[in-house]
This record gives sequence, structure tokens and C-alpha cells, in this order.
Amino acid sequence: MSEPQLDELDQRIIEQLARNARVSNRQIAGSLGVTEGTIRTRIKDLQEQRLIQFTVVTDLRLAGSPNLVMLGVHAEPARVPALAQELARIPEIGAVVVLLGRYNLLATGLFTSLVEVHQLIRNRILPLRGVRSVETSVSVQNFKYNFGMARITPEVRPRSRSKAEAVPPAPRAKASGTKGRAAR
Amino acid sequence: MPTVHPFPGPRPGPGPRATADISVGFAAWAVNQGSNPTMKIDAGAAAHQAIELDDLDKGIVEILRSNGRATNQEIAEKLSVSAATISSRLRRLEESNAIRVVAVADFAAHGYHMLIAVGVKVFGRDAAAVARDLAKLPEVFSVHLMQGPFDLELLVGLKEFAEINVFLTDHVARIPGVSDLSAGIAADIVKFEFNVAPL
Repeated sequence: MSEPQLDELDQRIIEQLARNARVSNRQIAGSLGVTEGTIRTRIKDLQEQRLIQFTVVTDLRLAGSPNLVMLGVHAEPARVPALAQELARIPEIGAVVVLLGRYNLLATGLFTSLVEVHQLIRNRILPLRGVRSVETSVSVQNFKYNFGMARITPEVRPRSRSKAEAVPPAPRAKASGTKGRAAR
Repeated sequence: MPTVHPFPGPRPGPGPRATADISVGFAAWAVNQGSNPTMKIDAGAAAHQAIELDDLDKGIVEILRSNGRATNQEIAEKLSVSAATISSRLRRLEESNAIRVVAVADFAAHGYHMLIAVGVKVFGRDAAAVARDLAKLPEVFSVHLMQGPFDLELLVGLKEFAEINVFLTDHVARIPGVSDLSAGIAADIVKFEFNVAPL
């Protein structure tokens, strides 16, 4: 992970935007005693470094109140990086983490049917080369979830500024270190 | 007195019974025309209520997904409605907890350079009570009660390697009922979607 240098002003801007992303630059500037231009520049920098992203989080109810399903994948170590990419390309899987200990890969998804989970594992995960077994665990209740914090990965959504380059959305094996590719 | 309707049955349409009273037992959704102060009192039931977005709502959400900082005016122009309509729609969407327009910050922006996934087994105590205790720890990003090999699953953000032991041994292990811990360290986060969450 890169070591971002955030000063106190950055932190306080993030704090305000986390509470309300639609607060204007002018309002932030006023409350922090800096110019509107400073706020604009800082926000732009934070976005370019992929440290913040403005978006809409929709409630689970809108997705039919699904359950979070965690899949612990045991796999051949040599195949783990490739498998991470293959799992990430499955649309139903929302998160893929290469994990040390417990299992080799952790994949999560939101599902409304256990049959769907079963079919995903049986038909699309177990057949992947290098996968040995999959441990399934289903969330029945959430006690805490901090929706203001996440890993902002390049895959989440094409960044608006690079739209002009029109990168085809075809599957491409992206190594984790390709960050510098986007406009820098 | 409000009529009690079986839950989770369909919300009654605006028939003769759809007076102001009816809103007491049902989500503020659609019923709320701004004149009824009882709309927001039933957060408990509303939390379980199915909510539906119409095409305009969906259009707004779609635009904000790609740019959460788009102004009401910009959204209004794209959807050919007035900025006031956008403003009231957004207020309603947020007040009913259907959506949140947020700045999502990367873990790194908070100084969390390590992410660990911890499975917790509970013995001799209600797992939900343990979950509530765990949720109070600031490093804990998420807590789920699970049906699976572990009773609880946590996602935890830590600033550095040395904090793992402090967190697991000094904080988590001391919570009554925690009988087993299994921690995995995130070596690489390849995908992390965050647009749907419990709000």
C-alpha cells in the first residue's frame, strides 16, 4: 500500500465530506477558514490519489435485503493471484481479498437465495483451476458497518477523467500495482 | 387508532382507509407528502419495509453514483425536471434511509494500512451480546453474526503490524464469551464494492 501524506486540512475536509458529500466547497472553505480554491484543489488531489470517492450508497433493502455471504477459498498458492482476478470478474462477487492465514482468498457477495450461492460455488468457483475447497458462511445479522470507508480500487468504476480514453471493459488481468497508469 | 396490517404484507393503496393514520404502521415511503408529522416515528418497521424507487429516483441515483457532487441543477437538467424536484426527492431518499450520498474514503486515508479478517467463536454467552461489544471497538469496520464455522466475522483496520497483537489479545480476547479467534491478514484487496450497504 502506498503511504499517502495527508495533513490535517485533508483530514478535516474528509471528515466533513463523510458526513455530507453534497456540502459545497464554499461551505467547507468557510468552516475551515481557507479559500474555496484550496478546497477545490485538495478535493481534486484526494480524488486523483483515489483516497476519496463521491458516490451513492444504497440500502440493502433496495437490493431485496440480501444476506452477506463470505466464501473462504482454499487454493494452490501459485494460482492465488490469477484466481483473485478470476473471482473479481464474477459480477455477483463484491469483494475479493488475498488473505494470509485462514484461507487463501476471501470473497464476499450479497445473495437473496442459498441456491444461488450453491450454484455459484459449484458451477463457477470450484471448477476454477487451483481451487481446492470453499468454506461458506452466511451473515444473519449485521451489527456494524462503516459505509464511509472502503478500499477504492480501480475496478470499482472508471474514473470520469479517464473516460475520454474509453478503455474497453473487456476482462484484463490487472496487477495490483497499475495505479500509476491513470493520469498522474 | 391505526389499522394494524399484517407484516410484511403489501402497503395498502390510497383507498378509503389510506388516511393519515395509515402511515403509522408503514414506511414513510410514498405516503409522505410532507404534511404528516407522524411519518418518521416508525423507524423500526420502516427498517424492514421494502422500498421502491421510481424511474426518477433511479435516474438521480445513477447520476450521483458516478458523481456524488453533481449539483441539483446539473441533475435536474439531465433529467428534465426542476432543481426543486431533485432537492425534495433527495431529501426523501435520504430521510427514508434508502440512500446516502457520501464521500467514501479509502482505508489508507484513515491511516489503516492493514486489514484483517477475524473469525470469532463464542462460548457461554449470547453471540449478539459479544457482537455489540466488538462493535464498540473503533478499529472494527464491520461485525456480522454468522451461520458458519465462526459465530462472528469482523473486518478490522489497523495502522501497523504491531497493533495486531494488541488488538486481538488486549481488546478482543478480553471480551467475555470470546472463546476462539482466527485472523487472516489481507495481502491484497483486489475488489471491494461499496455501493450497497446496511444504512
